[in-house]
Amino acid sequence: MTWLTPLSGLVLAGAVIPPLVLLYFLRLRRKPASIASTLLWQRSVEDLTANAPFQRLRFGMLLLLQLMALLMLAVAIMQPRLEGERRAGGRTVLLIDNSASMSARDAEDGDTRLEEARTRARDLIERLYAGGWMADAPGETMIIAFSDRAEVISRFTDSRTNLLDAIDRIRPTDGESSLTEALQLARAYTTNVNPDQQDRPMADPATIELFSDGRIQDLNEHVLRGETMNFHAVGSTEPNNVALTAVSIDRPYDKPTSVEVFVSLFNHNSTEVSSCEVQLSVNGTAVGIQDVTLPPAEVDENGVRRAGRSNLVFLPFDQPRGAIIEVAVLRPDDLPNDNIANVVLPPARQLSVALVDKKSRVLELALQGLSLRTSDFNMTGDELEQRIAEDRLDEFDVYVLDGFVPSEMTQGRFVTFGETPPIEGLNPYGESEPQVVLATKTEHPVMRYVSLDSLYVEASTLLKPARDATILVEGSEAPLMVEIRRGSLAVVHVAFDPLESNFPLLRSLPTWVYNVVDYLGHLGEGVASTVIRPGQAITTRVPSTAEDIRIELPDGSTVPLTPAETFDVSWGPSRRAGLHTISWKEPDVDDRVERAFAVNLLSTVEGDIATRESITIGEAQAQGDFGERAAYTPLWPWAIGVCLALMMTEWWLYHRRARI
Amino acid sequence: MAEFGVSTESPPERIDDLIDSTLMAKLDQVDVLSRKIFAGKLQGERRSKKRGVSVEFADYRHYTHGDDLRFVDWNIYARLDRLFLKMFLEEEDLSLILAIDSSASMNWGNPNKFHFCQRLAMALSYVGLVNHNRVSLFSFRHDDVEALPSLRGRRRTREVGDWLLDQQAEGRGGFTEAMKRIALGRQGRGVMVILSDFLLKEGYEKGLRYLSGGGYDTFCLQVLSPEEIDPGKHGLTGDLKLTDIEDEDVAEVTVSAALLKRYKENLDAYCGTLRDYCVRRDITHSTIDTSVDMSVLLMDYLRKRGLLK
Repeated sequence: MTWLTPLSGLVLAGAVIPPLVLLYFLRLRRKPASIASTLLWQRSVEDLTANAPFQRLRFGMLLLLQLMALLMLAVAIMQPRLEGERRAGGRTVLLIDNSASMSARDAEDGDTRLEEARTRARDLIERLYAGGWMADAPGETMIIAFSDRAEVISRFTDSRTNLLDAIDRIRPTDGESSLTEALQLARAYTTNVNPDQQDRPMADPATIELFSDGRIQDLNEHVLRGETMNFHAVGSTEPNNVALTAVSIDRPYDKPTSVEVFVSLFNHNSTEVSSCEVQLSVNGTAVGIQDVTLPPAEVDENGVRRAGRSNLVFLPFDQPRGAIIEVAVLRPDDLPNDNIANVVLPPARQLSVALVDKKSRVLELALQGLSLRTSDFNMTGDELEQRIAEDRLDEFDVYVLDGFVPSEMTQGRFVTFGETPPIEGLNPYGESEPQVVLATKTEHPVMRYVSLDSLYVEASTLLKPARDATILVEGSEAPLMVEIRRGSLAVVHVAFDPLESNFPLLRSLPTWVYNVVDYLGHLGEGVASTVIRPGQAITTRVPSTAEDIRIELPDGSTVPLTPAETFDVSWGPSRRAGLHTISWKEPDVDDRVERAFAVNLLSTVEGDIATRESITIGEAQAQGDFGERAAYTPLWPWAIGVCLALMMTEWWLYHRRARI
Repeated sequence: MAEFGVSTESPPERIDDLIDSTLMAKLDQVDVLSRKIFAGKLQGERRSKKRGVSVEFADYRHYTHGDDLRFVDWNIYARLDRLFLKMFLEEEDLSLILAIDSSASMNWGNPNKFHFCQRLAMALSYVGLVNHNRVSLFSFRHDDVEALPSLRGRRRTREVGDWLLDQQAEGRGGFTEAMKRIALGRQGRGVMVILSDFLLKEGYEKGLRYLSGGGYDTFCLQVLSPEEIDPGKHGLTGDLKLTDIEDEDVAEVTVSAALLKRYKENLDAYCGTLRDYCVRRDITHSTIDTSVDMSVLLMDYLRKRGLLK
């Protein structure tokens, strides 16, 4: 506690208290009153005729109360204040990082960083609202928790209790830290929404209190717009962490029933990790352990810290069935979340493909190169029409139509060339001039490892696909390859005849054919085998007969799901890493059908958990505050309040004495 | 808020203010009672120790020379042939003396003590006049005694009222001197009523001593205002400089529960001493609160005390 103006208070106390005591020495100034006779009063009163101006000081309750009230007044004038954090009237935004790195257990008492951040945020709220109801309005505070997504935990409020409750609601996630959404949210709320003050574009810039370890990947992308940022750093600057950054699983092309597992490890420590055991488990049973040595992290010439890296491969082993593959780093460290990665391995499934109305050997040769279960390269158009009519399309996974167009297409998976199939949304409008490729959607599974830069198309159909169609290849005049999905119908349409182009001569053709067959053949299952990052959604397609669909989360809780019309179910965003299992019941089957999805941290950013001592946003640098911050809460209103209470007590006591 | 004890009522201006017809009607039924039966000068309506002329037979005695032949009992003479005189109880008048303290201290209180005394004196005088008693009124203060002596009969009521209305309560008290003068100037025997608050710094003992030996049936009616009887209840509070309205004497007090308690103890002790003094000298003492209703006082209280019958 400090005193702002101690001298004034002392002067006041010196000027007022001695006269008060003197007044008690002096005899009272009495109100005159006439009575019939003083005869009886003279007998009743002791101190009647003493003419001395002073009397013996008699300490009474009244004098004591008056002295205390005056002292309180003097204390109020001395302006005592408590150290606390107070910004009268200002707005404060608490940004609390709940990304994966905040789960590191390197805070004091073995707490996670998030727990420490919550404690520090609670302390800040307590200091901000320390004055209680006697203090000035402390302004409003908003709380946002952020990882890769930002979430408003509490809107602007001045209720201390609500803010403290909101802080308790913040849960850890396994997302990566990104400030973009959090700052956008904070600014959206600090923008002036008062319609009477529209001439003022923004409210007063808020003070941003950032509780984080500073491991935020997009710090450099932001500039503070008048806001003040205080960085409350949590965690240790020298943590201990080895992270799994990549796990991939592959079935070798030549041995589709066996599995290879590739693992990438980052050592974020400054020292070498000489022995790090990595365990591979299949369906919960350990099948192999490898010991690796990880080099220390080093700072390169640009001042960027580079983690020590090591890769390892688990040799192919036979696993024709589907399985859950788990890779675990057995070495204990501060951040356990990134020591385990799961991958859901789909069963080795060979596809059946039919080539309909074959025009040339080009596609047949490309299809023959695939490892297929069954194939029919000589199917006629009539046979296909008959299958469509008899609803027997299930026999083949993918139908490749080489220029043939059936009368109707409502279900099944097709690759069509040349002639435009009868599907709504393709909108053909003429024949084109020769075309070259303008752009390809390389991130689409069909276009993976495919280069069509040198593709030349002599003649094609001009298409104007609907919005819901995915354009895989954009030609110089019109789309050349389009994917359309309509419920149970999936079509990849090529707008030209391969023979009217140099497509058969391109090296990418076999890859493209493999991709398109694999993509359409495994459509709806393929998602399961891909790795999902925290923050992404889990989606899958369930049978139309599925009932009671639910998802089991890594923490064991279950959430019921409702499928969309297309029998797609989705859940997200996934917040924690681990296995998520979607299960459902089918009629006449006792057991629930399960489909597992692995959500893995596998982040090169979050694994580096060393707390930053300062962060730089735009040109503003915020020094990390690892401890308390000094500010002040005035106590004089309390002193005035006590003074008033004392005066009222004195008043009451005086009147109680005067009355009978 | 009215100042403590200062009268807010207006003084009586007409005889009607002193006594109203309702009270008069009630008072027609009562008479002044004396514990002693005195000899009066005139034949009155009162039984006397002396045998005299009345309808009430008392005794016989032998006829002596010079006796009024009207009182000879001729029936006895016829039977015994001796002259006997019938003797009757003589009815005689009574002297009623009312002495009112008109010092400044009486002009205080709510209801005002002096106004109260004026009304009480009027009522008692009326009773005396109606019953053909000899009524004398005295008003005394520092060195002055005003008198309205020897009135008889109902028709003198107005005279008494006018005299009472003329009286003013002012100046210092002079109880001893006044009692001496009244006692020396008395005519005959009778009932003496003293109306005062008896809060006398000079003391009441000497004054009362003049009265005790004079054959009077004396009544001391100590008239006190409610503010004097219970000052705390009537708003006496705070730190006060109390000034005596008679002699300007000053008493500085801080009113507290303890002080008020002590005052009441003192008042009780003072009145108790006065009563004891009166009892020893065969004087009847009564303390009267000015807030009491006049008809209740006359018809009930003073009858019980033996002043009226």
